[in-house]
Amino acid sequence: MPDERASENYVVRMKGITKVYPNGVAANQGVDFDLRKGEIHALMGENGAGKSTLMKMLFGLEQPTSGEIIVNGEKLELTSPSVAIAHGIGMVHQHFMLVPSLSVAENMVLGMAPKKSGLFVDRAKAIEITREYSEKFNLHVEPEAKVMDIPVGMKQKVEILKALVRGAKILIMDEPTAVLTSQETAELFVELKNLKNQGYTIVFISHKLNEIMEITDRLTIMRNGRSMGVYNTCDVTKEEISRLMVGRDVVLSVQKDKAVPGDTVLRVRELEYVNEWHKKMLDKVSFDVRKGEILGIAGVEGNGQKELIDMLFSFNVPNSGTATVNGTSILGLPQQRIRELGVSLVPEDRMLYGIAADASIEENVISDRASDKRYNSGPLFNMKAIHQEADRLIREFTVLCKDRSQHVGMLSGGNIQKVVVAREFSNDPVLILADQPTRGIDVGATEFIRKKLVELSRSGIAVLLVSADLNEVMELSDSLIVMHNGQIAAYFDDTAGLTDEIMGEYMLGLKQQSDQEIRRACHD
Amino acid sequence: MLNFLKILATPEFFFSIIRISAPILYATLAAIVVEKAGFANIGLEGLMMFSALAGSLVSYYAGSWFWGFLAALLTGVLMSLMMGFFAFQLKTDIILVGIAVNMMGSGGTLFLCKVITNLTRGKAMASTTGLITKSLCIPDITIPLLNKIPFLGKVLSGHNLLTYLAFLFVFLTSVMLYRTALGLNIRAVGENPNAASSVGVSVMRIKYIAMAFSGLMSGFGGAFMSMAYAQGWSLDMVSGRGFIALAAQAMGGGECLGGMLSALVFGFAQALGIKFSAVGLDSNLASPIPYAVTIIGLVVFAVVRNRRVKKQHSVAALEKAAGR
Amino acid sequence: MTKQRQLRFTVIRSLVAILIALLVATLLIFISASGATFHDKLEATREALKQMLAGPVFRFSKKNGTAFEAKRLADILAAMIPTIFTGLSVCVMFSANQFNLGAEGGIMLGAFVTAMVAIYLPLPAGLHPVVAVLIGGAAVALVMLLPALLKTKLNVSEMVCSLMLNYIIMYVIKYLMNTHLADKSRGQIMSYPFRGSSAISPIINNAVFSGAKLSWGFVIAIAAVILCGLFMYRSRWGYAIRMIGINQDFAKYSGMKVGAVIVLSQVLGGFLAGAGGGIEMLGRYTSFSWSALPGYGWTGITIAILAGNNPYMVPLAAFFMAYLSKGCDLMATYAKVPAQLIDIVQGVIFLFFAAEQFLSGYRQKLVVRSAQEEIERARAEGGRQNA
Repeated sequence: MPDERASENYVVRMKGITKVYPNGVAANQGVDFDLRKGEIHALMGENGAGKSTLMKMLFGLEQPTSGEIIVNGEKLELTSPSVAIAHGIGMVHQHFMLVPSLSVAENMVLGMAPKKSGLFVDRAKAIEITREYSEKFNLHVEPEAKVMDIPVGMKQKVEILKALVRGAKILIMDEPTAVLTSQETAELFVELKNLKNQGYTIVFISHKLNEIMEITDRLTIMRNGRSMGVYNTCDVTKEEISRLMVGRDVVLSVQKDKAVPGDTVLRVRELEYVNEWHKKMLDKVSFDVRKGEILGIAGVEGNGQKELIDMLFSFNVPNSGTATVNGTSILGLPQQRIRELGVSLVPEDRMLYGIAADASIEENVISDRASDKRYNSGPLFNMKAIHQEADRLIREFTVLCKDRSQHVGMLSGGNIQKVVVAREFSNDPVLILADQPTRGIDVGATEFIRKKLVELSRSGIAVLLVSADLNEVMELSDSLIVMHNGQIAAYFDDTAGLTDEIMGEYMLGLKQQSDQEIRRACHD
Repeated sequence: MLNFLKILATPEFFFSIIRISAPILYATLAAIVVEKAGFANIGLEGLMMFSALAGSLVSYYAGSWFWGFLAALLTGVLMSLMMGFFAFQLKTDIILVGIAVNMMGSGGTLFLCKVITNLTRGKAMASTTGLITKSLCIPDITIPLLNKIPFLGKVLSGHNLLTYLAFLFVFLTSVMLYRTALGLNIRAVGENPNAASSVGVSVMRIKYIAMAFSGLMSGFGGAFMSMAYAQGWSLDMVSGRGFIALAAQAMGGGECLGGMLSALVFGFAQALGIKFSAVGLDSNLASPIPYAVTIIGLVVFAVVRNRRVKKQHSVAALEKAAGR
Repeated sequence: MTKQRQLRFTVIRSLVAILIALLVATLLIFISASGATFHDKLEATREALKQMLAGPVFRFSKKNGTAFEAKRLADILAAMIPTIFTGLSVCVMFSANQFNLGAEGGIMLGAFVTAMVAIYLPLPAGLHPVVAVLIGGAAVALVMLLPALLKTKLNVSEMVCSLMLNYIIMYVIKYLMNTHLADKSRGQIMSYPFRGSSAISPIINNAVFSGAKLSWGFVIAIAAVILCGLFMYRSRWGYAIRMIGINQDFAKYSGMKVGAVIVLSQVLGGFLAGAGGGIEMLGRYTSFSWSALPGYGWTGITIAILAGNNPYMVPLAAFFMAYLSKGCDLMATYAKVPAQLIDIVQGVIFLFFAAEQFLSGYRQKLVVRSAQEEIERARAEGGRQNA
């Protein structure tokens, strides 16, 4: 347990924080959290554990329903980020809070722009300030470049500088390494240690165990909106942390028989895509998914997985290449036709694509089959058939709800995802595209969905599983692709014997299989 | 036909284009600034109606156009802040707020006009055209030297004070958006409100300011309608200019200069309609011209924009090919 | 939140919104009321409010006291006919998240086209009104293709486009009425009289309602409400319209033909507005004489907002608006308060109904209470709690 004598050094104390969102979701329940001056403190937990909510309250973006926040001994009502900033709290968001069309310097001084003649923005001064801070903290940026033109690593440096220039002494970093290359990560760690030595306090939100062990002093673990305790990093092992985070001694493992792959269902060849910022997001991607197998796609987010799924479900069209389902080309087809061919998609962003939050569960589960003869009699719906179908799916997929007429937006994340998979798994698919199917949902729903995926694949359905969750892809997949930089970096026809280390090397681009090895992903 | 062209080639015709464009231009600038701040104010029509009424009434009671002018501005700003309250505080869909203000701006202004004239003059009047004399209107300005230049002098000199101000505001608005801290904040809020609020820029405050700016511009536009364009207020006198401005904003690519050119196009269409009816075309056929031009303008703009996007795509493809 | 709580919240919220609007109205009436002293003004305000709130169904006279007035009620029901149709029209379009404001021009065009069919196309009695109204509706449906297709093909704002169309429709009709179609034998600008075969007959005996005009159009309007409700809640097309309105990306992903459905919603909205105009024309008038936009389209928007885009609630909202409008008319007649007060009251009610966060504090309290209860229940059941 942490040393009690150090209590006079606490710069932040959050006590008994509870947050209930307007939709009834209790994201934080009685959480205690504190920070000592000059430490790097990890805040850990799975997606949806409530870490972000807690930090949003510390940064004034959200207000707690109950509980108190004490900063430097003073009890505060953090009603907005300005109040937090005024008390020396800065935040580096996971999704950068930058205005793309403005220059680095303009972004730096946004909200505190130096003026000349009392009215106009003093651009020269803004650039000067940017240079000064950039040098002082050894964070290299280009003040005059537009933010939309600079690389990700530099954007993050701008974000850190932005907080520092506003006088932040406490820096909240929300999954800062999620978007960085390994080299950039290493660079960042040097910078963070440097800041720590200068007396800055850093909250480091992450679920990457190695990083946490490397640079943090203490850690707080969250699970299901509650704090699971505070520990000195040197006193705990990775295994203990993992157990506290996911609440299991063993990594979730799904029983599955060996796959007996059949004919090719999805055939992707030489897919290429250049995005609107002229970055090549897909580079000659070719692979097959066969009946009865789960092909996993692993990789750090942003390496072309999203674009691949977008192409396969016609949200976008590639610059070149082909993709066929049972011999029929699917590129550029309307979604209706793609679904008629038997393709289902569990979308990455379930709130954006997967559901209509203000519609009932029933209306959500029939969205792809509303025109089907079974559910219509003449010009009107056959309500009885629709009710039956909805009730059946709610039962079969154990959606926890009041009844079929409840609005989906009122459900918990896990149950929302169950509504999505209930629809996508029950329309007799030949191919399921599952994009981050268990992200941010509870353990029960996760296990349920994973089991279903295996079950469906063993019944002869082809499954393409995209997941940033290494456990998930390695446990579920029969064969596995690693994507890096828009390319297939590796293909494994069997996941047995694969380790995190091997995967990591391919995911981070340290290693790359030969063309010949990669070509095995095509079963011609 | 040739005769008609001769009529068009007169300085009077060009003069009228400028004059007619002025209120549309004010509303267009309003639309541009709120759009930069990330939302749309479709209530400009109603705001201008209220401002026009307030301007003419106060001008009459105070016996001075200046107070009327100020009242018009104040009305526009206060009403727009009220719209902001509903839209930002009570989270009413901003489009619905606009519709509500437009509804009130139609019959509601007539109600107020009747009530106020009844209270003060003992007789409910359905318009204020009987109250406003030339001296209660905002004055025209003859520009010395410029008015001596043949043709051009007659086109550019002798306009209403507010007409000149409208074109000055194109410049001022542009400077405000691109050279001041306020403009920086407005653009940031419109492009990425989370980024703005994360550095302590109050998104709410900036949106209110943008809203108030649109109210101010509507105030200018309204004052122009009842105290310069016409003498006095009458029912539905803004007749769609607030809506046309929304189209002008889109056609101008959301920038001040483009918006000004679009407003001039609509001014031209309307001036043309007026000329048509002057040479004998039924006014009911001439009147819809600016509205039809608005639709055509939006279509042309959309086609051009789509082409440009496509072209960019092929440029990207070319670059890719070159890179290979 | 439980359903009862949700319902209770909705009802309370609606009542408070109406109350606020009435307070604003009272204030405005007080300001405009004639009277030398404060007491006089108060008395005049009271009188005006009485006319506005009770006048639509009661007649006040010194001789006979207060009496129920069937004719006025019939007038209100008759006034609901056009606004039920525009209300439904707006419901359908707004449900698809299409801010098409063309119901105003639509109802005028529908009325005009129907009138032309009623004048110039000889048809047998039973068939004539049906054909006339259908053609009127179809004409507007056709016109609404323009904003709809421009929206789906070129992403041109359907709102601006439909507003411009309102003006164009009005001027073109005025032009035609002033020139080619005017009955020169009449003192004012109006068309030739409709053929007798085209009339939609009155529903009630005039003797009972002393001259009230309530045509079978009212029954057709109610039938339209039911059909529209079935369409929106019980058919795949209405379902698609609603899903697109809630989440267009979801609808596209689910395989719905988003573009086609958006066009459908606006074409259907146009048809409803046009047919409403036709029915109003044939049920109430004997020749066409509208010289300006009638305002039913804007009332229709208010009605759709009050009804929460639910067709079944449209008659109630239309009744409320017609009642209020009649009250304002009576107030104008008897208490000298300008009838346009209705526009302000309408605007205020509209704003508060549409305000999502209006009374949100109260709503949040209910939500939190429900959430807490649920947590309690989960604990009581032995704690198999789902995050």
